[in-house]
Amino acid sequence: MSKKHSSPAFMAGLEPLSRRSLLRTTALAGVAFTTGCARVFGRKEAPDQLEFSHLTEDEVRVMTHLTVVLLPTERHGLPSSTETIPTVQNIDDMVGQMSPQTRELLGLGLWVFERRPMVSFKFSRFSKLDPEEATRYVHAMQEGSFFERGLTATLKALVTLNYWRDSRTWPALDYWGPVTQKWGVRRLGNAPLPPV
Amino acid sequence: MTVKSILKGLPVTQASDLVDSQLELQADVVVVGSGAGGAVTAYELARQGLSVLVLEAGPYVPSSEFTEDFTEALEAIYEDAGGQTNKAGDLLLLQGRCVGGSTVVNGCVSFRTPDFILEDWQRDYGLDNLTVDALEPYFQRVERNLSIEDNREHEIAVHSRLVRDGARSLGWSVKPFKRNIRDCALTGHCLSGCKTERKQSMLVTYLPWAAAHGARIYSDTRVTRVLEQDGSARGVEAEVIGHDGTKVADMRVKADMVILAAGAVQTPLLLLKSGLANSSGEVGRNFACHPSMYVSARYPQPVYPWRGALLGTYVDEFMRPEKGGFILEAGGLGAAEMCLITEPGTGKPYLDYMQDMKYYSGIVTLIHDHNVGQIRWQDGERKVIDYDVADSDFPSMVAALKAAARVHFAAGATEVYMPTTEPLKASSEEELDSVLAQLENAPHTLRLVSYHPQGSCRMGADPARSVVAPHGETHDVSGLFVADASLLPTSIIVNPQVTVYALATYIADQILARREQYFRVKSA
Repeated sequence: MSKKHSSPAFMAGLEPLSRRSLLRTTALAGVAFTTGCARVFGRKEAPDQLEFSHLTEDEVRVMTHLTVVLLPTERHGLPSSTETIPTVQNIDDMVGQMSPQTRELLGLGLWVFERRPMVSFKFSRFSKLDPEEATRYVHAMQEGSFFERGLTATLKALVTLNYWRDSRTWPALDYWGPVTQKWGVRRLGNAPLPPV
Repeated sequence: MTVKSILKGLPVTQASDLVDSQLELQADVVVVGSGAGGAVTAYELARQGLSVLVLEAGPYVPSSEFTEDFTEALEAIYEDAGGQTNKAGDLLLLQGRCVGGSTVVNGCVSFRTPDFILEDWQRDYGLDNLTVDALEPYFQRVERNLSIEDNREHEIAVHSRLVRDGARSLGWSVKPFKRNIRDCALTGHCLSGCKTERKQSMLVTYLPWAAAHGARIYSDTRVTRVLEQDGSARGVEAEVIGHDGTKVADMRVKADMVILAAGAVQTPLLLLKSGLANSSGEVGRNFACHPSMYVSARYPQPVYPWRGALLGTYVDEFMRPEKGGFILEAGGLGAAEMCLITEPGTGKPYLDYMQDMKYYSGIVTLIHDHNVGQIRWQDGERKVIDYDVADSDFPSMVAALKAAARVHFAAGATEVYMPTTEPLKASSEEELDSVLAQLENAPHTLRLVSYHPQGSCRMGADPARSVVAPHGETHDVSGLFVADASLLPTSIIVNPQVTVYALATYIADQILARREQYFRVKSA
């Protein structure tokens, strides 16, 4: 292996730590189903100026770039994943609901995801890769070791859920969403006591 | 005592109702958990005159507050806000955490325990009491009480008809599900709680019935310890936690009997924390969970997988272990689930996939997994679910995937997506073997979800190999019973709710047959 593609020393030092911790980080795949998707669920108007309370500036940069790469919505005639639907803002709200432990692991995961390209993408960070390279990087991570796969699946889940949860994205899918009130379905109440 | 039906809602004491920070309560029986096992035992004992107290860790969310939004439901009424995973983080374990437990969020699928599973239990675990004949009246009773019937034709949505068509063209056995539902409104939102109260969950059946017979129900109440004295259960200690996460009150309950029905994850954790019933060393061991995959496929015509009854038909051709030990369930899904269940690619391929969502249909695979998992505490305060798919189970997983894909192709699908973390799909049946050959049993390879945790407090005749005796009482502690899916000695392949209802009813009868032995003060 050429020196160019060797892991920088600090990355090598991270390996055992990341390997162990990222196993837990990938539990975020479950969290992606959860906190933010729920507590912050509901349509939010895209603010004119996005404000992030919980993600760091670096993390916002990573998540925004990943959103652009994963969801190039404008080219598909969908509501913009950055301008119309506040995808990263939703993720930020989600992070605010995370336990300290989960939050720490997400931070570590994003740190690794941002710097992993330095191994094989000319020492560039993920957030500085052009969209084509960034897509190649995501593919490489998905084909990588088990914790790289897990981390990538987790981050993809965070982004996509925080986009599609917004009801403004549903018309493009023909998804009907909640229906009971719309249809006027009567609630039946409790079942009668069974005969003795 | 005059028993008056509770027509709507449920009388539940919630954290927000409490004034005192110290609660001292008394009952004949304290039931931990309000799901399938807890609700049934509470009702069956309360209606025989026993004073029953039900403690539920989760919140009380009345049906009127269900939002029919899966992501919101996960946060509000699922364990760990829907984020409960195994230690490796590649298996999501979904359990209800609310008054009514998992019965509130399940898909209504109602199977009896397969006969050959009961035969295994008799042969391998000495459960001679649980024969097909012995359990027949219990199955009949819960089926009658919960309006369990075969899906009618209008309850078989397009996605389920496709599975039926595909299976039939392959010559495979396929059947309509039985479901516990009255006059299904076909909203497709079962997993978010049934807003229309058609699903006959514990929230609208056994719990209001128990309450009508005097049972008291507390939500937001997490039992922290089972109390024992001289080898007998004496009650529990609990904490009442407000919805903002702060403790509202400490609770101490004196009772002659404790019934644990908190589910196959929480029940062993509580026993371990209490240091009880573990002379065998088996508490928390032998955990199984039916690791499931969702195999999606694209069809030429719109399917609208969210429309109609969530679950319509199933393929039981391979149910018996010698034929593969798995079943295939036709299942619908909504937008939130759709964007997570498979990996179509990044960027354009992903958006193409989502925009074509209405053309997709899915099949859920369930396997007869071995009991290789363990529930335990780490550092005394963090629960750990050790469960990785066993190498011996992996062939069943792959066989189930292949069978699901074949059904899809036989029904006319043009592409089948494998539930993997890397993009992997097949465009024809001929490609299947080469596609499936790329799979290996490694962490974060398959997208796995479990809806059926079970088996962590095994029932059996031998105290050295099991935690709970055949009549439901722990071998070690008199008056301490278990009545939930943690009892199951082996995984049962099929959805376990009816098995739990029937076993809980059976255990209640066993308690009543011995009531003089347990209750010092008769309340009848």
